[in-house]
Amino acid sequence: MTAEAVVARIKAQLASQGVAWREGGRDTFKAGRPETDVRGIATSGMSTFDVLRRAAKAGHNLVISHEPTFYNDRDVTTDLETDPVYRAKQQFVAEQQLVVWRFHDHAHALRPDPLIAGSARALGWTSYASPADPRVYVLPATTLGELASAIARRLGDRGIRVVGNPAMKVSRVVLGPGYGMPPLSAAADVVVGGEIGESGGNTEYALDAAAAGQPKAMIMLGHMMSEDHGMQEIADWLRTFLAGLPIAFIPAGEPFA
Amino acid sequence: MLPSGMTKIPRDLSRREFVAVGGAVLLSAGAPRLARLELTAQQAIERIRARVGVPWRDTTVDGFKAGDPATVVTGIATVVMATLPALRQAAAAGRNLIVTFEPTFYSGNEDPGSRASDPVYLAKKAFIDEHRLVVWRFSDHWGARVPNEFASALAGALGWADLRTADNLLVYAIPSTTLGALTEHVRARLGVKGSLRVVGTPGMQIRRVLLSPGTTDMPGTVKNLSQADVIVSGEPREWEAVEYVLDTASTNQPKGMIAVGRLVSEEPGVRACAAWLRTLITEVPVEAIATVDPYWRIA
Repeated sequence: MTAEAVVARIKAQLASQGVAWREGGRDTFKAGRPETDVRGIATSGMSTFDVLRRAAKAGHNLVISHEPTFYNDRDVTTDLETDPVYRAKQQFVAEQQLVVWRFHDHAHALRPDPLIAGSARALGWTSYASPADPRVYVLPATTLGELASAIARRLGDRGIRVVGNPAMKVSRVVLGPGYGMPPLSAAADVVVGGEIGESGGNTEYALDAAAAGQPKAMIMLGHMMSEDHGMQEIADWLRTFLAGLPIAFIPAGEPFA
Repeated sequence: MLPSGMTKIPRDLSRREFVAVGGAVLLSAGAPRLARLELTAQQAIERIRARVGVPWRDTTVDGFKAGDPATVVTGIATVVMATLPALRQAAAAGRNLIVTFEPTFYSGNEDPGSRASDPVYLAKKAFIDEHRLVVWRFSDHWGARVPNEFASALAGALGWADLRTADNLLVYAIPSTTLGALTEHVRARLGVKGSLRVVGTPGMQIRRVLLSPGTTDMPGTVKNLSQADVIVSGEPREWEAVEYVLDTASTNQPKGMIAVGRLVSEEPGVRACAAWLRTLITEVPVEAIATVDPYWRIA
């Protein structure tokens, strides 16, 4: 089966689950030739050079990545053509006959959103999901410090960043993996997600809220520490309609030392 | 009408200040001292615009964000981000004009949006109103000066003021070190806590450092990092500059990244701005309010 044919199967499966294909989005081939025969599929949070090497070594030549391959949202490569890092990555893709396809917009359109489900599973929160709001988790009451420590231990998260008083009581969590975490408001104690701009936004709000005597908090896990896991859900989903092809989740992992 | 011989109380001199200054000063005999006080926020900003040395942009985030521009300035505080704690500190010190470099109401356009009835937003607005503070943002234009003020001040804070390379104004040639040792130097000099994140191996040899305070975008990183061994970054995104630096590990020229956080990276430039303001505004005190790294991490 070619990479093109695999993507056609994915589109058909999405349609059968009520997710119509929208052209013009992020989900396109990013590198390699779509007509390449697929020997195996690797899913990952981000198609870093290291992920491509591990996929090639395992013989999984179609890499399905949630985030970009070439360092910008739309994988625009115009200004990268002479860059040695870009060229080395493209050369590796060609030599190993890899194909990279992005699965972002339509992955988030599935219900439940596999990226949120994967993050909740990794955090051990699946059973705390609020029936009323798919992003809200009601945890047994704890403190921000204890919650952050438990998360860091569980995920092995080295780059976790927290704003808020460690002693504050928390229970109601809004989970927003990836970028652009949900805005903090009076509706929850803490927002947990990937990464978000430090200018204004939740950081400023949390600092203001503490000063106003209405403490709120934010825990930034890192983008990969929050969205990588959901690509395990995507691998499981692909196996349900692509029998016979080896499919593996290859985590991008945390980029920070 | 006021009795003859009495000066009209400037409308923005608060009642408390009126009491503090004392009625006598408001008589004609006190006029010279009163004239010294009468620098409005609008006048201060006009002076800044005239002296900043870069053309004022039509589309910019810079401008008044809160308060009445006609307010008489009693003191100026520069701050990376006009958080409620920073505003309280400014008000307590009598600095009623706050020059900020990041938003005041949580977004670039300062539109509270869904937070319009939020208690935290309302508390902040009420504090600004009660203390008759004026908040003015000075991000685009301070950041447009050449050489870049944020980068130069960051270099100064790191002890590298004289080490800028001639071929790239953002690259510094420092005494040979390792990524691990440089990380500890940066941590100690900038007082960075949870914001600190590093890409690369600790033993990596470092001679040339690219400074990228504030937003660390991908085009700037790709363009300049070929001339350096490591990037000291403000705020990189994981799918942009972070992925690029990560991928260099698979080439024959691996690079490192030390991310210190946007707010921490801009702090020296905001202190430098206070020093610059003191050279053009002598009527009132000007000081920088320190920014503490807002993030913490599990020890």
